[in-house]
Amino acid sequence: MKFRKHRPVGHRWVVAVGTAFAMLLATGGVVVSSTVARAASTTGVTSTSVTIGATVPLTGPAAPGYSEIAPAVDAVFKWANAHGGVYGRKIKYIYLNDKYDPTTTATLTRKLVLDDHIFADVGSLGTPTDLAIQKYLNTEKVPHLFIESGCNCWSTSKYPATTGWQPPYTVTGKILGYYIESHFKGKKIGELYQDTEFGQDFIKGINKEVPSSEVVSKQSYDVTTLSGAMTTQMSALKAAGAQVVVMATIPAATALAMLPAAAIGFTPQYVLDNVGADPPTVGPLLSAYTTAATHTKKAAAAATALMNGAITALYQPPESTAANPWIQVEKKILQKYTPTLWAQHGLDGDTEYGIALGYTFVQALKAAGKNLTRTSLIKAIDTKASTFKTPGFVPLNYSKTVHYGFEGGEVTEATTSAGTFKTPVGTWPGTKVLSPVYVTTVGNGPVKVYHGTEPAVPTTLSKTA
Amino acid sequence: MELFVNILLSGVAQGMVFAAVALGLVLISRATGVINFAQGALGMFTTFIAFSLLSSGVGYWAAFVAALAIGFASGAVIERTLIRPLQGKPALNPVIVTIGLLVVLEGVAGSIWGNVARGFPAAFSQKGLVIGTTRVAFSHFDVFIVCAVVVLVLAIVALFQWTDLGLRMRAAAFAPEVSRLLGVRVGRLFTLGWALACAAGSLAGLLVAPLSAFSPYYMDLNLVYGFTAAVLGGLVSPVGALVGGLVTGLAIAFVGGYIGPDLQPIAALALLLLVLMVRPQGLFGTTEVRRV
Repeated sequence: MKFRKHRPVGHRWVVAVGTAFAMLLATGGVVVSSTVARAASTTGVTSTSVTIGATVPLTGPAAPGYSEIAPAVDAVFKWANAHGGVYGRKIKYIYLNDKYDPTTTATLTRKLVLDDHIFADVGSLGTPTDLAIQKYLNTEKVPHLFIESGCNCWSTSKYPATTGWQPPYTVTGKILGYYIESHFKGKKIGELYQDTEFGQDFIKGINKEVPSSEVVSKQSYDVTTLSGAMTTQMSALKAAGAQVVVMATIPAATALAMLPAAAIGFTPQYVLDNVGADPPTVGPLLSAYTTAATHTKKAAAAATALMNGAITALYQPPESTAANPWIQVEKKILQKYTPTLWAQHGLDGDTEYGIALGYTFVQALKAAGKNLTRTSLIKAIDTKASTFKTPGFVPLNYSKTVHYGFEGGEVTEATTSAGTFKTPVGTWPGTKVLSPVYVTTVGNGPVKVYHGTEPAVPTTLSKTA
Repeated sequence: MELFVNILLSGVAQGMVFAAVALGLVLISRATGVINFAQGALGMFTTFIAFSLLSSGVGYWAAFVAALAIGFASGAVIERTLIRPLQGKPALNPVIVTIGLLVVLEGVAGSIWGNVARGFPAAFSQKGLVIGTTRVAFSHFDVFIVCAVVVLVLAIVALFQWTDLGLRMRAAAFAPEVSRLLGVRVGRLFTLGWALACAAGSLAGLLVAPLSAFSPYYMDLNLVYGFTAAVLGGLVSPVGALVGGLVTGLAIAFVGGYIGPDLQPIAALALLLLVLMVRPQGLFGTTEVRRV
């Protein structure tokens, strides 16, 4: 009766998962905590402070790269606080570790609202995680701002307190699809996407521009079980003869796709969503391509080689453009207000993202005026966002009915022909601009050239950073 | 055809890694009747130690051997300090301890090395071999994976079958009380079993790291697949672990290639259920009753 022997094993597995889960939950918790002065009128607001919160992954599989964002957002708030705050109010930013687990996000967000009495939830990260709190925050009328995700789900009349920030994945997909159609016409297109809203929305955008007759193979991956090289997917794309491979992948997945592709001699033109295209974030993962003999010497070189030539669409200046005034000021803020983060990562795609987002919130607070309420803040975002000065190539186009954020970008290529740049983790290919800045919408509207210019860095920022 | 060959070959290489994980589970299950859920995490931890050594300029092979040695030693230490005191207690206790160990190891690794995923170098080139005119999904490093695991399994089999020590280990596992009466130092052999198992886990960690997003969590799924392989092989025989690993590797590679990669973990669990329902003793198990 060997069966008797195995049954407990099944039970144990259940117990294992349960216990591990419970312990993971138990070890999560408060990262930054602060005492909150209760406001007389508006929750989270006093004459000297405004308390806001967020849930982000600081540990766990989604943490790589993303764990840098919230501290970078906070760096901007520290800068603002060091210069008197906004209308005399210092910004207190409480960001908690949800490990990218929606159940944890829901619990921690209730804690932020009920115990910490936050004025607004700002810069919470992730699609499934933010979907888990969207209804709650709207019911409680807590502004749910600048979500770190490009899901199409953030702009809906049902949830007026919610806003996105980065371009919707469909917008980025359309811009890249438009570029593919005009530059790689007739080539065989392969697709690899994460099977969540992220990948699906992005591919939706690609498919609006690229006729289905040109797509030879569609591959996907499950992010919850992503751990090993995607040999099967890349073999399938190779077998289908794909010449251009479009990818909606998180950084780890970009590496786990490029590595086995290179191993089987498959070198298509990669076109990546910007989520998984930042060389300093993806590069360290690619050093697996080195061997025992070459590891120390050639790690960075091998990584650079695989990323070289990859095309993406950016909505703010790449960190490689050292001469850009926004990049210069962002580096200063990072260096001065989060020296640890600066020493570990420098300005990369994630820290830059955090700084731009934090600065957007500072401007929203300014625009809301001295008498800060939740209503006045959302009204300011709806009506004055186009005047916000951000590093974004296109203005934030919030309105009463549209809550996406940036809806544009330019097509760029990571290439050593544009020089290289250094971060604390390596040397990376520079950025070549391939197209003008485009704007479009998540719907069927056309991809159009944007004729405005990137706003200059406000002197209040450049002089004090 | 090229796709079929690539799926087949990647399944073989992956299967060997699962076999190494399964081998560790089998050795411990045989010796002390415990399913060691920290098997993967231990391999992860020792591979991170190798990573630190590599980063500080130590040569690849020195770091490789050091990781195996540390795996071996920590297996012995864990048996002595965490598992031995639980002897005679309910069978679930040591299992819970190994789950706790899994959580602790992943947490500690995260706090030391960070939760950042990164790359880990391979012993040999990961560029696929050229067969005819096509570059296939089987590299020099994959050849090394297969050789390393097969050699390890054969060595363990040889140890059990042809040495006095192996005979005593089998005796201690089969009938600890009788063995003890006959003068066999059963405790030491249990310790040795754990040490060997954790060395096998370390090997698995080193072999799979270059094919993974190397972070404190990269062995989690490999443990699930390794467990499937171990049960498939019957949880008692090293050769069973090898065959179980191969079958599991091929099964999930073909499911991933022809049905959908999303279904790979489900396929593994389906395989596990199928084995438990149709042939609960596994492919190589006997039908004797044993308490786990």
